[in-house]
Amino acid sequence: MKGRALILLSAGALALGGCVQTKQVADVEFAPPQGDYSLLVMRPDVTVGSLTTGGMVEPRADWTEKARGNLLRALAEQQSNQGGKTRILEKREGINGVDAETVANLERLHNAVGSSIALHKYMGATLPTKRRQGLDWTLGEDAVKFGRATGMDYALFLHAEDSFASSGRAALQVIGLAGCIIGFCAPVSGGGQSAYASLVDLRTGEVVWFNVLQTNSQLPGVRFGDIRTPEGAAQMVERLLGRMKAGRNVRERQ
Amino acid sequence: MSVLDEQLPLTRRMLLGGLGCACCAGITGTAQARIRPADMKPLVAPGHRPDDKDEQGLWQQYERVEEEIAGSNLLVKDPALTSYLGGIAERTGGPAARDLRVYLARIPEFNAFMAPTGFMVVFSGLLLRMRDEAQLSGVIAHEAGHFLRRHQIRMWRDMKRKTAALTFLAMGAGVGGAATGVYAGDLVRLAHLGTILSLFSYSRELEAEADAMGLRQIAQAGYDPTAMPETWQQLIEETQASAAMRKKRWKRGYSLLATHPAPEQRMVDLRASAKEVTTARTAERARDRYLQAISAHRKDWLDDQVKLNDPGASLYLVRNLARDGWSGLLRYYEGEIWRLRGQKGDSALAGQSYAAAVTLADAPPEAWRAHGQQLIRDGRGEEGRAALQRYLSLAPNAPDAAMVRHSVGG
Repeated sequence: MKGRALILLSAGALALGGCVQTKQVADVEFAPPQGDYSLLVMRPDVTVGSLTTGGMVEPRADWTEKARGNLLRALAEQQSNQGGKTRILEKREGINGVDAETVANLERLHNAVGSSIALHKYMGATLPTKRRQGLDWTLGEDAVKFGRATGMDYALFLHAEDSFASSGRAALQVIGLAGCIIGFCAPVSGGGQSAYASLVDLRTGEVVWFNVLQTNSQLPGVRFGDIRTPEGAAQMVERLLGRMKAGRNVRERQ
Repeated sequence: MSVLDEQLPLTRRMLLGGLGCACCAGITGTAQARIRPADMKPLVAPGHRPDDKDEQGLWQQYERVEEEIAGSNLLVKDPALTSYLGGIAERTGGPAARDLRVYLARIPEFNAFMAPTGFMVVFSGLLLRMRDEAQLSGVIAHEAGHFLRRHQIRMWRDMKRKTAALTFLAMGAGVGGAATGVYAGDLVRLAHLGTILSLFSYSRELEAEADAMGLRQIAQAGYDPTAMPETWQQLIEETQASAAMRKKRWKRGYSLLATHPAPEQRMVDLRASAKEVTTARTAERARDRYLQAISAHRKDWLDDQVKLNDPGASLYLVRNLARDGWSGLLRYYEGEIWRLRGQKGDSALAGQSYAAAVTLADAPPEAWRAHGQQLIRDGRGEEGRAALQRYLSLAPNAPDAAMVRHSVGG
């Protein structure tokens, strides 16, 4: 029993606290867009919820709406400092010459490709044929056609989730921490963010850059951002898009 | 393991055993009781909108889901059929009549589901199996019943409550166990199992509610309520037929980890309940109207079904539909099932079906092609070529017309 408690304690101490992680991958020839480029931000997919005591996320409509608004404003702000021409889609409708169905289809296609990127670049199922080749995924001809129809150079896809500990969950966190005193540390996650951004070059159809953000906290009351507030949303946009790194070949040439 | 455990092993086992029994008793208790249609009152008013935060969040999620489904390329795009289905939902939807939406997806499977926001998705495989509008109304009313009884939000709240209790129990067992030196991991694991079983049990209870609610609704609309247990009888017989042809034992499908009550239980309960709601006004079957509504699609759906490589189920399905009279279409697909199974003797059986199909008025052109090819194989070239000519005259623009024309030497 003593041994078990000790292991739990040390593991707990290591895992305690929390973290903010981002990991980006890029096409080997990717250079961050600069100067006179045009970017279309696709309708961001946002969900904010409350983390129940049992660990399920209960979506909250009001928080989600607020966060979506904040993220859209933060994006516009962040992009206005980049020099490019940016258009943000809040709905699927409203682009001249492109119907909502085409937008929906591109979103679904990106969803499938994005899941594949997540699986093979982030979740450890590395493909032997794609080792050390940077990001090598494409949305194909459909994206190129979409680019021609919209006259845009890039499309940015965004997905963001955030969750907050409910009072029951927070109580559980306190008990889990209190247990450390008697040798039973059971750190409990109090929710956090998980988001990704994906940049598609509409001239080639390729996914040229991808970034994943994750934050998690096991200390009750401690958070690493809150996209329900304008500052938190700006922070998430900055973490996701702030420091776009060039692809490997481009960096090596520099 | 802990000291206490070694000293008093029996006490702990007795405790765990006792708790286990309590769990199981609770579960079978709720699963066995039939819910009477008379006890089922709708829990929503017309134009129901969510008031509570949790339900609002659920709705927002499902509004996105509906947006995706509405644009899905799996949907059967037939406005007349869609509004026909919507009409049945309206007729059986009670207070939610005007709040229900029905989407029809081309998926060859017996299934349908209801979203908390009031839209349901019905699979084409379900429509294929229905013999008349009364049977279909039972399924649609069952789904509407989930909405009328607010099942999704009740399920979510039940899950929230039970997982919270379990989580605190586990934490308490961990912290308390560490403080007193007792290892309570087994107890936690048992409680975990108890929670899972209890969640599934609640899900089955809600399904039984939806059955009773749906039955009440179709009887009120004037449909024959015995159509509802028939659907389950058909499903059971189909499952048995499928297993029999594969030479497998029929899995009765009941388990403590099932989300739905066993089909047999549902059939028995629905039969008893149907008696309670039958009146002189509940006689409508509307078979012709139903067949008319799906007429443009039955062939596609039969085609999807026979390609599932489940000859036992397909054969049962076709013959069950033929209880209302054989048609050329059903005979042709009966032949296709034998042909695709392709075991010894099946070719002759297929030939008989094709030959029977072409004697019926509504035989599809493909029946003439299949019949002709079979005759040629049997050495009756002259007749076979005539049948193929008939195919070409019925379907001159078929994708394989040129090839068939070549084979008849024309």
